[in-house]
Amino acid sequence: MLQLIVNGIVVGSIIALAAIGLTMVYGVLNFANFSHADFLALGAYIAFVLNTVLGINILLSFFIAIAISGALGVLLDFLIWKPMRKKNADLVSLIIISIGLALIVRNGIIFIWGGSTRNFDLPVQKGIEMLGVTVTHNQFIGIGTAILFMVLVHYFLKRTKMGKAMRAISDDINLARVSGIDVDKVIMWMWFLGIGLAGAAGVLYGLETTIRPNMGWFLILPMFAAVILGGIGNPYGAMVGGMVIGLSQELSMLILPSEYKMGVSLAIMILVLLVKPEGLFKGTKA
Amino acid sequence: MIDYLVAISLIVGIYAIFSIGLNLEWGFTGLINFGHVGFLAIGAYTTVLMNLSGWPLWISMITGVVLAGFFGLLIGIPTLRLREDYLAIVTIGFSEIVRLFLLNEEWLTRGPMGLFGYERPFESIVPFDYNYFLFILIFGSLLVIYLLVEKLVHSPWGRVLKSIREDEDVPAALGKDVFRYKLQALMIGSAIAGLAGAFLAFNIQYINPRNFIPMETFYAWIIVVLGGSARNKGTIIGAILVQSFYSGSRYLQDFIPLASHQMAALRVIIIGLLLVLLMMYKPQGLLGKKEELTLGQ
Repeated sequence: MLQLIVNGIVVGSIIALAAIGLTMVYGVLNFANFSHADFLALGAYIAFVLNTVLGINILLSFFIAIAISGALGVLLDFLIWKPMRKKNADLVSLIIISIGLALIVRNGIIFIWGGSTRNFDLPVQKGIEMLGVTVTHNQFIGIGTAILFMVLVHYFLKRTKMGKAMRAISDDINLARVSGIDVDKVIMWMWFLGIGLAGAAGVLYGLETTIRPNMGWFLILPMFAAVILGGIGNPYGAMVGGMVIGLSQELSMLILPSEYKMGVSLAIMILVLLVKPEGLFKGTKA
Repeated sequence: MIDYLVAISLIVGIYAIFSIGLNLEWGFTGLINFGHVGFLAIGAYTTVLMNLSGWPLWISMITGVVLAGFFGLLIGIPTLRLREDYLAIVTIGFSEIVRLFLLNEEWLTRGPMGLFGYERPFESIVPFDYNYFLFILIFGSLLVIYLLVEKLVHSPWGRVLKSIREDEDVPAALGKDVFRYKLQALMIGSAIAGLAGAFLAFNIQYINPRNFIPMETFYAWIIVVLGGSARNKGTIIGAILVQSFYSGSRYLQDFIPLASHQMAALRVIIIGLLLVLLMMYKPQGLLGKKEELTLGQ
């Protein structure tokens, strides 16, 4: 039981980290980005190449992977999302583009690295036992890094000019525009932050489990559940939502076979949609 | 050669039926169903499981179709009152849960071992090659469904669907119960997918959860988008194009120095790229009319 809670916190903090970017894009650009989870997997593979092929140590690989992921997010904003914004495209076309992108990324990974599972080149370290619960080294790193990043995101959003501008466009994009905020620039940085964090979550998830092409696919539902539970567009909601989803998925194993973990996210999501579709916390969109 | 063409045509026919169901949802009503394959699976497994436990085939088939439609209702109730993307998220999860159920509930579905040894309609009395009979059955059904759906979408009911797709506030302001119309479109679309599932089971004679991977949904999507959303004729042409692409790329495999998993991945990359480019530059599809589907562009 305690072990499940620990595992739940680990997975939850990873989901939370990845869900921040998803909810921000959702809140500002107003569409569900189905490719978000596959950038999580891509981040893990980028770090994998840096770590095992180029022999760079894992910490440095982690940061480079975040930078490359973020840069990819910006690139796609230029290639796809910005032109679509200029065209004033309907949100349904954006959703379909994002699923097309998801197919490209996931199968690009399979094309280059194959379908088998991979691992980072790390010494195997013994887990630490406390109160009858084993916490592995990587789990400590996972929770620690995810929480550190969330605190950083908090400071970024509350204290920096760019962070405040992001919250402003998330609240009301037109109001932000007339008050002199360079909306396109802020959105570009939002993509950098969002996809960068997804990449970070991917590396942490790869440390915690293994690296495989569909590692993102199986997180897409928990991520959306976290976003909807936390209120769309609300990064803090997504963090809490991620934790709730992570914990309930792991705790569900007390009564359900582990194969149906994904069903827990679906059930929570449907429940939220039926009872309180605006989510637990104030989102920017309903 | 003719046998090969018939075998390929059967697949085209099944995908065409499957995709007409999606076209009713997406093309005509603007509903984003990313879990269409889940309804295909329900139709196929219900037909087969009931038949294997002794029910007459036609009752099994009807139950499969009805059950697929019923699950459309269940999925629609929590999602269709809310914004468009909730349906997309919930359906994608639903279809995965269906697949995981089929994979893990071995007492019922035999899990990854799959099911076989079930009846096919009139198999014992057809005096010629059964595939030829299946060809008549599937294309006859495709014709009937095509005509029925065409009749539906050109009726006042269908015009409400299109107005929902373009701007659902307008029919709502005119006193139409938008939620009800969407629910009906989703149920009918899902039931059609269920029927395609039964035909799929008849064609391949051995079903297992691998037949119902999420990618099947996106084959239907590219078929509908390529052929031009809200055009059923286009959907049929789209099914032919996509199947030709699939078979053609298999044929080319012998000449391209790529491993088979790379070839499979490349195929999906091309489909994804096509989906992105079409939605960016020609959302009404290759054969669609610009006036028909605007998507705000």
